[in-house]
Amino acid sequence: MTFPPRALALILGAALLAGCDNNPNPPPLREKRADGSPWLARYGGMSEDPRSFDPQFMYDQMSRRVMEPVYDTLLEYHPMKTDPYEVQAGMLEEVPKKESGADGKPSYLCRLKTTARFHDDECFPGGKGRPVVARDVLFAFQRLCDPKVESPFLSNFADYLPGMQAAHDAAEKSGKFDYAAPLPAVELVDERTFRIHLTKAYPQLIYWLAFQCTTPVAREAVEYYDGKEHDGVTRPDFHKFKAVGTGPFRVVEYVPRQRVRLQRVEGYATTTFPTDGFPEEKKAWLQTLAGKPLPLIDEMNFSIIRENLPIFIMTRQGYLDGMGVNKDAFGAMVTPGRELAPKYRERGMRLEKDVEPSTFWISINMDDPLLGKNKKLRQALSACYDRQTYSDIFWNSVAPVAEQLIPPGIPGHSREWKNPYGFDLEKAKRLIAEAGYPGGIDPQTGRPLELTMEMVSVGSEDRQRAEFEQRCFARIGLKVRISENTFARLLQREDSGDFQMTSGTGWGADYPDPENYFFLFYSKNVPPGGKNVIRFKNPEFDRMFEEMATMENSPERLEIVRKMNTLMSEECPQILNFHKAFYSAVQPWAPRTHNNLMLEGGVKYSVVDAAMRDEKRREWNRKPWWPIAVLAGLVVIAVGAAVRINRRRNV
Amino acid sequence: MFNYVLRRLFYAVPILLGVIALTFLLFNVLQTPDAAATLNLGPKASQQARAEWIKNRSLDKPKAVQFVNHVKKLVTFDFGTSWKTGRELNEVFRKGAGPSLLITLPGFLAGLIGGVGLALYQVFLRKSLMDRSITLLAVALMSVPTVVYIIFLQAVGALMLNYFPASGFDWRGWETAKFVALPIIVMAIVNLGSDVRLYRTIFMEEISQDYVRTALAKGLSSGRVLSKHVLKNGLIALITLTVATLPRLIMGSLLIENFFGIPGLGNVLVMAIGTGDQPVVMASTYLGSLLYIGGLILTDVCYALADPRIRLS
Repeated sequence: MTFPPRALALILGAALLAGCDNNPNPPPLREKRADGSPWLARYGGMSEDPRSFDPQFMYDQMSRRVMEPVYDTLLEYHPMKTDPYEVQAGMLEEVPKKESGADGKPSYLCRLKTTARFHDDECFPGGKGRPVVARDVLFAFQRLCDPKVESPFLSNFADYLPGMQAAHDAAEKSGKFDYAAPLPAVELVDERTFRIHLTKAYPQLIYWLAFQCTTPVAREAVEYYDGKEHDGVTRPDFHKFKAVGTGPFRVVEYVPRQRVRLQRVEGYATTTFPTDGFPEEKKAWLQTLAGKPLPLIDEMNFSIIRENLPIFIMTRQGYLDGMGVNKDAFGAMVTPGRELAPKYRERGMRLEKDVEPSTFWISINMDDPLLGKNKKLRQALSACYDRQTYSDIFWNSVAPVAEQLIPPGIPGHSREWKNPYGFDLEKAKRLIAEAGYPGGIDPQTGRPLELTMEMVSVGSEDRQRAEFEQRCFARIGLKVRISENTFARLLQREDSGDFQMTSGTGWGADYPDPENYFFLFYSKNVPPGGKNVIRFKNPEFDRMFEEMATMENSPERLEIVRKMNTLMSEECPQILNFHKAFYSAVQPWAPRTHNNLMLEGGVKYSVVDAAMRDEKRREWNRKPWWPIAVLAGLVVIAVGAAVRINRRRNV
Repeated sequence: MFNYVLRRLFYAVPILLGVIALTFLLFNVLQTPDAAATLNLGPKASQQARAEWIKNRSLDKPKAVQFVNHVKKLVTFDFGTSWKTGRELNEVFRKGAGPSLLITLPGFLAGLIGGVGLALYQVFLRKSLMDRSITLLAVALMSVPTVVYIIFLQAVGALMLNYFPASGFDWRGWETAKFVALPIIVMAIVNLGSDVRLYRTIFMEEISQDYVRTALAKGLSSGRVLSKHVLKNGLIALITLTVATLPRLIMGSLLIENFFGIPGLGNVLVMAIGTGDQPVVMASTYLGSLLYIGGLILTDVCYALADPRIRLS
C-alpha cells in the first residue's frame, strides 16, 4: 500500500510540528554539577548588546549588567539595604575609613581580601589565576588616566585624586602612557595594602570604589589580549570583549545580538550571602540563605531581545525568569488597582515594584532674560504642572511624583517633604498675576505670554507629551511653543545655553549621595566645565554645596541638605516631574532575593527552582492540533473546487 | 553583452559616489562631531571625554580630508569599526549575511512559489467564486502593513499555538529551522497579496495568446497547458520583477529581523540607525546601493538570456 503524496506531506508536517520545540534558549551548559546535584541556570533578557567588557571603559547599563557578576568591586552595595543605600566590603576586607595625613590631606587605607583572585586564564603562567594584589588596583587607576582607554570616568576623579589629570595630559603629549611611573593618587603599602590619597575631602570616593571602573584588572590580561595576531591566531581585545575577571562568574559565550552566557567560577570565595538587612516580608526565607557561599546558581543566560512582544511571550511560556512590565504588557499584566492580573497570579507569578534613584524634570534656563529673573513666573510654571496626571498617562501611574530633587533611598530624601509649588492651579493663577502676567497675558503686547520649550521628538508619544505640557501651561493663560530636537541636538542646546525650557531631562544617580544631584546646580559646573545646564548661580547654594559635598553623612549634613532643598524649592530653577519606577513580573521559580537598583541585577544573589520551571514550561507550552486540521481542510476545499470546476469546463 | 555590462558598471560609479557623498553629508555636516560624541558616550560624558572621542576618530580633521579618507575606505571595503560596539564591520557583515539569507532567500522563494501557484490556480478557476474570493483576499493582504503581519503571526504562531520560538536565533544544525520558520512565513506572506494580483494579470494575458488555443486544440489538458506553456512564457515577465531583488536579499529585512531577534544585517542596520552608529549606517547604505545596482544589471542579463529576441547592445 502506498500513501498518497498529500497525506504523506501532512503526516510529515504534523511530525515536524510535534518535534518542534519552541524554546529559544540554548540547552544548559551541563546537566548536573560535579557532586550530582542539579545544574541551576537562569534566563534573563537584555534590550541591547554590551559595548565593552573593559571595566575602566564601559559605562552603559548593558555592559555593567553583564560584567557585574564577572568582576567583583572593591566595595559593593548591600543587596537589601536600600533606604538609605549602604556599601559593604567587596574585595576589600572592610569599608575604609578616612584618615588625615601629616599634610592634612585625606586618604583611605585599603586592604584586599586574601580570597580575591583572578579567574584561571591562559594569560597567566600555567593558565592558573593569581591573587589580586595592590598593584592591580594601581594599574586600574592608571588605566583610567590612559587616553587610549578612553575612560569616561577620569573627570570624576581628576579634581580629587592627585596626579591623575597630569598623568593623562603627559600621556596625551607623549602619545604613550607610562605605566612604570608612580601615580600619586594610589600608594602601594604592601602586597595587599594600598592607600588612596586625595587632594581634598571627597567622601563620595567610597561609592566610586563600589563602581566597576575602579575594579582591579590584571596587567597580564590587558597585555596578552591585545586584539593582534600571534602565531597565526588573533587574540581577543581586552578593551572590547575579553574579560579576565575576579567575580563569581566568567563569560563563556558572547554572540553579538543573540546572547551572553556566564558560568559559575569554581572556588569563588570573596563574598557570601548577607546575614542582615532582610526585609520583613522575606525575612524567614532569606534567613535560610544567610552566609551561604555565592553564587547560588551555576549559569546565567542573557538573551538580547530588543522588542517588547517577544519578551512578554517568552515570559508567558516560562522561557524567561521574569520581565520588566513594559507599557505594551501593562494592560494585560497589571490590574487598575496596580496588582498583578489574576491570570498571572494563578500561575504563581509575583509583581515587584521598584523606584529607581532618579529624578526627571523640565529645565528652566536661568540665563534667560525672562524666566531667569522672574522667580514668581517660575513658581507659577511649577504650580500649574499636573505631575500626577502626567504619571497616569505616560507611566501608568507607576512613577511617583517628584516632590524634591533627591530621589528615594538617597540621604536627604524626605518622605514628608512637599514641593511648595506642586500642582495647585489656583496658586499658579495667583503667582502668574504676581509675576506681572495676570491671566497669562503679557501687558506689553496684550497677548498671551509666549515661551519656547525644547524637547526630543522622535515618535508619537513625544508629541503627546508636548501636547500635555502645552495644555498644562495654557491653563494659566501661557502659550508654549514646542521646538522639536533630536536627542543629541537637545543636549547641545543645553550645553550651549540655547534654550528657554527643556522637557524630559533628568538624572539617574551614579552613587547614592545628595552631592550627585546638587552638583548639577553648582555655579562652577556651568558648561563646558560641568553639567549645570540650567545655569543656576546662587552664592548661598554654592556655599552650602561646598560645605556638604566634603562632609560624611551626619545629622549636620542632612540639615544642610534640607536647607538646600528649601532653597531649590523656592527658586524653582526646574519643574520637578517624577522619579522613574518599574514593575517587574517574576516567575514562581525565580523569586527575587533583593531589590537594590544600584546593582545591575545582582546575579550572584539569584536563586532558581529548576524542577518547578521544567514542570511549568511543559504545562504552559502545549500545542493544539486543530490548526493543522483547519489547514488540511482548506487544502482539501481548494483542490476539490479545482477538480469540480475542471470537470465542468476546459481552459 | 560584455560591453553592455562594462558600460553599466561604468555608469554605476557616479551613482555610488553620489550615495557616498549624500550619506557623508547627512552624518558629517548635519550632525556635528560633538553631537555624535554625545550620542555615543551618553549625556553624562564630560567635555574632555567627548573631545578625546572626536580626536580618536579623526572627526576633528577638515571635512574634505575626512571625505577622501571615507571614500578610500569604502572603495577598498575597509569599513572600519562600529562606534557603538567597537566590532570590526567586515566581520559584522560577514557574520550577519548568513542569518539574513537564511530567512530572506527561503522567504523570497516561498513567496514566489506561493504567489505563482495561487495566480495559476486563479487562472485555472478564472471568473469563478473561488477566483473572486482569492482576489478579494489578495487585496486585503495588500492593505496590511508589514508590522501587523509580524505582530499577528508572532502572537498566533508563538504565543497562542506554541509552535515556534517568539524570538531568537542559533546555529544548531537542523534545529536552526525552528528559529527561522516563522520569519520565513512572514517574509513569504508580506508581499503575497500584490504578487498574486500581478502574476494573475501576467498569466491571464498569456492565456489569451494563440499558442494556448493551439495547444488545447491539439488535445493537451488544461493543467498541462498552464503548468508547461503559460507558466514558462509568463516567467520571462517575472524575471524583470524578481531578479533585481535577489542580491539585496543579503542585506536582510529590517523589520522582520528586528522583531524576531535574527542577528542578520537588517538587524544591524536598525540598531545602527537607532543609536547613531555612523560607520555602520554608511557602510550598509554603500553595500545596499552596490547590491541594488548589481541586481539591475543582473536583471538585464537574465532578460536577454531568457528571451532570444532581446539583444543587449
